[in-house]
Amino acid sequence: MKKLLVLTVILLTVLSFAKITVIVPWSGAELDKFLPVISAFEAKTGIEVEYKTYRAEDLANILPAQFAARKAPGDVIFMWTSFLAKNTANAVELSDVVMPSNYLPGALDNVTFDGKIYGFAYTAKVKPGFWYRKSFFEKHGLTPPKTWDEFVLLLRYLKQVPGLKAPIASGDGVGWPLSDVTEHFLITFGGPELQKDLIEGNISWQSYTVRKAMEKLAFLLEQGFFSEPVEWTTILKQWWNGEYGLYFMGSWITGMVDDPDDLGVFSLPGNQGMVFGIDYAFVPKFSKNIDEAKQFVAFLASAEGQSVQVAQGGHIATVLGVSEASYPTVDREVAKLLVGVQSLNDLDDSIGGLWQPAFWDQLKLLWVRPERLDDVLMALDEKMPKWFFITAIEGPFMGAFYMFKDIKGGDSHDS
Amino acid sequence: MILRKARLKHLMMFIVPAAVLIAAFVLYPTIRTITLSFVGEDGELTLSNYKEVLTSNDVVDPRGFERGFPFGALIHNLMWIAIHLPLTTFLGLFLAVILRNIKGGAIIKSIIFLGMVMPMIVGGIMVRFMFEENVGVVNMILSIFGIPTKTWIAYPETALPALIFGSVWLWAGFSLILYSAGLETIPKSYYEAAQIDGASPVRMFFKITIPLLKPITVVVVTMTLLWELKVFDIVYVATMGGPGGASNVLALQMYMYGFREWDFGKAAVVAVLITLSTLVAAVPMIKSAGDEAE
Repeated sequence: MKKLLVLTVILLTVLSFAKITVIVPWSGAELDKFLPVISAFEAKTGIEVEYKTYRAEDLANILPAQFAARKAPGDVIFMWTSFLAKNTANAVELSDVVMPSNYLPGALDNVTFDGKIYGFAYTAKVKPGFWYRKSFFEKHGLTPPKTWDEFVLLLRYLKQVPGLKAPIASGDGVGWPLSDVTEHFLITFGGPELQKDLIEGNISWQSYTVRKAMEKLAFLLEQGFFSEPVEWTTILKQWWNGEYGLYFMGSWITGMVDDPDDLGVFSLPGNQGMVFGIDYAFVPKFSKNIDEAKQFVAFLASAEGQSVQVAQGGHIATVLGVSEASYPTVDREVAKLLVGVQSLNDLDDSIGGLWQPAFWDQLKLLWVRPERLDDVLMALDEKMPKWFFITAIEGPFMGAFYMFKDIKGGDSHDS
Repeated sequence: MILRKARLKHLMMFIVPAAVLIAAFVLYPTIRTITLSFVGEDGELTLSNYKEVLTSNDVVDPRGFERGFPFGALIHNLMWIAIHLPLTTFLGLFLAVILRNIKGGAIIKSIIFLGMVMPMIVGGIMVRFMFEENVGVVNMILSIFGIPTKTWIAYPETALPALIFGSVWLWAGFSLILYSAGLETIPKSYYEAAQIDGASPVRMFFKITIPLLKPITVVVVTMTLLWELKVFDIVYVATMGGPGGASNVLALQMYMYGFREWDFGKAAVVAVLITLSTLVAAVPMIKSAGDEAE
């Protein structure tokens, strides 16, 4: 009898230690920056957290089948909001643990459907512009450009620096690194509103405004200022080792280099908007640990949890109450670039669907064949989701409107 | 009568398990897929899925004939067949013939066959890096001859050819092994008799070897054709159908429809098209098997 009682106590004790699984899109150095957050949560709650790394592209394959089988591969899953928008029926409503009042304005808009919150915003990364090594710039007597002409002049100089393969490193992999660069050009030369209009399908990709912005990029590609696309973490190392002069990437690289204090960054001259790429996550309805998952969500959606993350570098909090002192020095410098510019949603993550991989793929084509800009823009129009079709008809007319808009930025690319 | 019933019962006992498995894993999915291909987004029966797929530039892009790649997934699959099929078949036959009587030939065959036994996902990664500008073996060889190097799979004109030529070595081991086995079945006395009659090696090859290897050729061609119609893994990991759709194939397009657009109706259409194509491709092998049975 005593033995039975002891076994029962042991069993109950074991069962009382819950365990949840979080699926994250990060690996390597990025994942290492997330582990302290998990440790902090485990120490606070006693709930064990197992993590798995899945690319969002792969989750797009796995999740529909899992949900159809009334299963879930994880209890908290980081995923595109475009996917969540189509799967609210398979997500747990989180209105009881995620408070909009605790967040930066608009941070939860992408996970709120019909007035209900089906996901939460974790930290964000911004895509501020072109990164460079301060030591490299000092060695060559270079300074960040203030005008488009200065930017082109900088690239021309870098092109003749011995040892550099190309002025700008182009990351590749699945394709998203090129999309980040492209967005920056669209925002800079088309204005922040153009990004919003493209996301909402209010303007055609073949419109005048889009074309003019893309022609700036195509011009640089034609001049050979960008490298061929190479896997982004590989080329990150090459850039850091002095094989390239500049590298356009998100702020997460501040946590991926040996000496963050040597990092400098500048946006395209005239830029008025910046992608504020929030990592979103949700709790699937088929999770077997919904209560524990919600506790984890509450932690990740709190100043306490996000303070741990931002201290690792490369992240920006989306909740209020995170002290500036929590950020590494280099991230504070990034934050300065945010002053006076509009925060924008990520273009391809917002549109999603079949359009996103098409966008990535078309940019690969543009990178090696910039003279086929027309084909690229046409293909992007064709791939836009159907429900955008009606408004997309207005594209050419909206293009006419933007034709007369005062576009800030550089002068003609023929400089 | 009792004996007949007993035999019938025993026969059914052997057939039923296989029939159940086929019904569950072949017939039901096939019927379900066909049905799904005729269901629109509103759940109603419709031909719109077929219309959208068959008129999509992703499947057939007439503009390619003016500007170059991409031509559409269907055309790309046909290119796979037109290039990969003869190369693989003839290369396998050629290697089988020259390695037949060579000392150590078995070891060489085994090495060549490695490309066949490794997962195609791994093969795709290898193909991808084979054509990389800086580290690829292809560019290393080309640079020896002073030919300019580039990342071949990054350019629309060369992405698909690179995948096709790269996969020839992956698949050649299949045809090599089959032809080697087939050559072993040809009696040596046929060649001896031909030699006595003064036949040249070339004449013996075309008059004895080729005709007697016809059944093997049918199998090699059919199986290779089926693989080319369904090719996915190599394309997925090496280029993801890019750049700009220049190396897209039907199976990848099916994947895109199903798991990126989440339109399972259109994905089912592509699946049906692939299935019909494979059935047509399999007819010669089935007929050949029937002829042999007679």
